[in-house]
Amino acid sequence: MQGDTAASRHLASCHLCFKLADASLHHCPRCGEALHLRKTNSLQRTLALLVTACVLYIPANILPIMVTDQFGNATDSTIIGGVVLLIDMGSVPIAAIIFIASVMVPLGKLIALFFVCWSVSAGRLKDPRQRTVMYRAAELIGKWSMVDVFVVSILVALVHLTGLLVILPGAAAVAFAGVVIVTIIAAESFDPRLIWDQQDKVNE
Amino acid sequence: MPASADSGLIACPSCDLLYDVSGMRHGEKASCSRCGDFLTRVRNDSFLKLQSFAISGLIFLAIGCAFPFLSFKSSGLESIMTLPQTVQQLYDQGRPDLAFLVAGFIIIVPAVVLLLLLVLSTCILKQRFYDWMIPLTRLVFHMQAWAMVEVFFIGVLVSLVKIGHMATVVIGISFWGYGAFALCFIASVANLDRLQYWNELERLAGLKHAG
Repeated sequence: MQGDTAASRHLASCHLCFKLADASLHHCPRCGEALHLRKTNSLQRTLALLVTACVLYIPANILPIMVTDQFGNATDSTIIGGVVLLIDMGSVPIAAIIFIASVMVPLGKLIALFFVCWSVSAGRLKDPRQRTVMYRAAELIGKWSMVDVFVVSILVALVHLTGLLVILPGAAAVAFAGVVIVTIIAAESFDPRLIWDQQDKVNE
Repeated sequence: MPASADSGLIACPSCDLLYDVSGMRHGEKASCSRCGDFLTRVRNDSFLKLQSFAISGLIFLAIGCAFPFLSFKSSGLESIMTLPQTVQQLYDQGRPDLAFLVAGFIIIVPAVVLLLLLVLSTCILKQRFYDWMIPLTRLVFHMQAWAMVEVFFIGVLVSLVKIGHMATVVIGISFWGYGAFALCFIASVANLDRLQYWNELERLAGLKHAG
């Protein structure tokens, strides 16, 4: 047997401290955080941030993420270029880590969040549990795409033998960090309870 | 109806279903039966663990910042990298934005989180309550999501393999220090249970105002 939802008893759950309070209050009585029955304009906000992330994803892939200056010859490398180079060098596992973290995770996250937003707004929610798991996976893997940005930072700091070999950060590193940050905020602004609300309405 | 707000009821953060979690004992964990989301876990020693991992984590972070992290040797030339230098280099190469983000994600945010957890868990263990504990706890929960300690450590391992063939790379003391810090950070945050933490804080606030 399924129990009641907090919303059906006009209770709002504080997203920060899990306190249940009357939904007419504006701030949580325990921690003082803003209190809402559901996150405000959650779909619009998430979609807006997802579009921003898509726009940032273009320079992140076109521009060089790092510049290797060997004996005065500068070579640019993009994210995909770095992966191809690693495969050529024979380090397939590392190439796989970079490919998963910098290409599959951000893309997968964008697609998953777009899909969940679409299913909420279109009412296609036959399997709400699966949608919730999808959303939570997108939320969980978010920060792992920062790996490539950190790798560039470490290489820049480590390899600076002036005149011999110097590695410089490229503009794509900033754009890519932007993609990661914006998608983290997008995942945070989505309210997974929207997935269940329609089902609860049907049950009533 | 407002009475139900104080009876140990909580709503699942993912699907809003109500649960009564007041009768839970040490070692028990609650998950939502409908959507599977984690609700809370009760541990009697969580504040003690929070405190001890925070102390060790801060010490390891100091080690991680003070000594050489990695050094790189090629054709008789050597360059040494330390953590603060990583930020400095990015700043000097004309990427202050990247320097700011990296410093925040790998040093400042985790350090502030551990420092706050240390202060807060010490107060809670001594059964003291001060009004500033509430805004500071909120700050911890807001900042926690932005600490990328373990991601950075994976990044270090990837870079090692990436340039290992180019020249000799020597692992410094700080590498181990930061690795230990990453483990302590994860262990400390793993003992931070939202509901249990706030329940305890609320109980202490109630005791103070009653007496």
